[in-house]
Amino acid sequence: MSEQSERLLRCISDIGEEKIDEGAQPLLRRKRTAWRRWGALAAAVVLVVGAVRVLPRMGGMASGGGAAAPSGGTATAGGGAGEGPGEDEGTAFQSYAGPVLPLTLGQADSEITAQREITLDFAPWIKRWRSNEDEANSREDVSPETRQEILEQYNEWFPEGGRWQSSTDIQVTDAYTLTNTSKEEKTVSVLYPFVSSLSRMDSRLPVLSADGQPLETGLRTGQYAGGWRGTWAGDLLLDADFGSIDRLYLDSWADYRNLLADGAYLETALEDSPDFSGIPVVVYEFSHIWGPEKGDFPNPTLRSSFSLDYTKTNVLTYGFNGGSFDQERGWMGREFSIPQPGEPDDGEGRYLIVLGEDIGAITAQGYETGGWDNDRKIEAGTTIQRYETSLEEILRTVFQRCYDRQEGLEGDFELYFGLMKDELLLCGGLLADPVSRYEKGGLEYQDSGQLDRVFYLESSVTLPAGGSVTLTAELTKEASFDFGCAKTGNTGVYGCDLATSLGSNLTFTRQTAVLEDRGQIALVRQSIPFDLEAGVRTAELTGEHCFLEVKRLPGE
Amino acid sequence: MEDSAIVDLYWARDQLAITASDEKYGPLCRSLSQNILNSWEDAEECVNDTWHRAWNAMPPQRPGCLRAFFAKIVRNLSLDRWRAQRARKRGEGAEALVLELEDCVPAAPSAEEETEAREAARCVDRWLDTLPREDRVIFVRRYWYGQRVDELAAQLGYTPNRLAQRLFRLRSGLRRALEEEGVRL
Repeated sequence: MSEQSERLLRCISDIGEEKIDEGAQPLLRRKRTAWRRWGALAAAVVLVVGAVRVLPRMGGMASGGGAAAPSGGTATAGGGAGEGPGEDEGTAFQSYAGPVLPLTLGQADSEITAQREITLDFAPWIKRWRSNEDEANSREDVSPETRQEILEQYNEWFPEGGRWQSSTDIQVTDAYTLTNTSKEEKTVSVLYPFVSSLSRMDSRLPVLSADGQPLETGLRTGQYAGGWRGTWAGDLLLDADFGSIDRLYLDSWADYRNLLADGAYLETALEDSPDFSGIPVVVYEFSHIWGPEKGDFPNPTLRSSFSLDYTKTNVLTYGFNGGSFDQERGWMGREFSIPQPGEPDDGEGRYLIVLGEDIGAITAQGYETGGWDNDRKIEAGTTIQRYETSLEEILRTVFQRCYDRQEGLEGDFELYFGLMKDELLLCGGLLADPVSRYEKGGLEYQDSGQLDRVFYLESSVTLPAGGSVTLTAELTKEASFDFGCAKTGNTGVYGCDLATSLGSNLTFTRQTAVLEDRGQIALVRQSIPFDLEAGVRTAELTGEHCFLEVKRLPGE
Repeated sequence: MEDSAIVDLYWARDQLAITASDEKYGPLCRSLSQNILNSWEDAEECVNDTWHRAWNAMPPQRPGCLRAFFAKIVRNLSLDRWRAQRARKRGEGAEALVLELEDCVPAAPSAEEETEAREAARCVDRWLDTLPREDRVIFVRRYWYGQRVDELAAQLGYTPNRLAQRLFRLRSGLRRALEEEGVRL
């Protein structure tokens, strides 16, 4: 060991604080296994007997109402995989909206070229007057009396009769002139990727058109692509990052590049979702639940217990909110609060879903509270019905209830159902080693609908021999930003990332960006050479990653 | 508690500042110190000394990034303690880091001037700016925080061998950068 290297170790002490802070941020663990094919995953399913079939994973959210035919092709990635972002890749925002991604073909075709023009329109930033009447009238879900109460409330908050509102979303028009250079007409499958969650699909779903005519589209879903970590995030340097209670989300351009560059993510999205029809289960359905009201006891609870062999039986639940487990004794207890009149789950069934060997005799008893250390019994009861069905059927029942309960879920149920089954196989209660978040088997706690992922809008277009068609995707893109309370110095700065080749197999002859600033913004940082002062609002896109960071103009 | 609130406690000379600092950043500082000293007892003392230093520094200082501020203090204190102990205890903790960093030291005569050391630090800082984020984080976690290779590899989803190769490439890159800028250590 030399004195020089020791001095170097000491010198490193004086690197910038931002790098020290960055080094203490949680790491995104690579989850390559998350995109394994279902065949491999099925082998890991616990106690599942029989084949797991697959069904087309398509949602019909088409403007024309129908789903397009599934693509048989497999896309190959056009973008090169790198190790991470370089020095000119923009701000790493705390809330990262994901890049605008380029169109790709279902199957690479060297005879088709593309010219892309993407317009970033800041029209949503223009302030608009929202009257209190409009606000109240938008609440069509409530009675006229409640609507009147809402109006009065708004009149109190905004006595001037309304308020000025604006958004920081960006209206994106992503247009591709696809040219067929061959001498034969071609019908090709196209896939337009975009970042969203199922729950925000109503505002994030792009609209595809060809030469101005709306296209029929189907929706393909990618897997949850983030990682997991434990809850002790303060102790980053030891084992605290380990664990799987909390999700780690994709939060940078580099994360998306790593996700999409090799094409595996798209391949999985084009696969079919699992079908559990061939998997028998025994269901214990709890209905007609009765017991005292809460005023009489702290938390009237119904406990159910039974014997089982943990090595031969796996239990999933719906509607239970507590449990006690004793593997050595071969005993399990599950419990739920007795629903009170008017509560959302009043009158709703609860389910124990048994995979593998059946459980032993089941008992049910009321107790004053939840918590397994209290043995003060109360008068309460339920009807327990035992029946056999398939895992597919019972999951359809319980996930339909989950779907109906969650606000904001758009699209068809089958899409959501597929995501939930994917989740069960990827990290949920069907695995021998589920993530901690789901290890108790409570199906209603799966949160697939809220997770950002890459979706693919799929359609097909016919390109005449030697001719062109302009395919346009119109979408509302959320901007990336730092949280104001974090005081990072980026307060008020909003970012938008564009990918030029990532995950696309198209041969681009030119890509340009057009800025419709609407007099609303000032440019803060950019890799796209717009210059508002010089009137340059159209610019060539170069490099695989382009970014624009802006601020609202003072007074706007 | 928000960092700004903790800083306010220091400025108000409220001893809750120490409690709040330890609750929020104690685990990080202990880990860092333990990585250098290889002793939980010594690490605990360094962390306690860190709060003492912070108490004396605030006011007048008002750190922009409290995590980095504490981490810097505890790292320097830990290196000081390690150096003092080195005669008695060899081959562990920071010594392993120094041995690895031998790769980066240019084959040039040593220079002990403080100005050159500062220039070296600036050169390392500039070189870090040129790295992709993940490489930069890997380097900082290994050589600033002293995190173990196997732990870091597990967190990133790499094998330890693959990470070791990457660290080797990073060290070679740093060596080239130091040589190109004529930095002497």
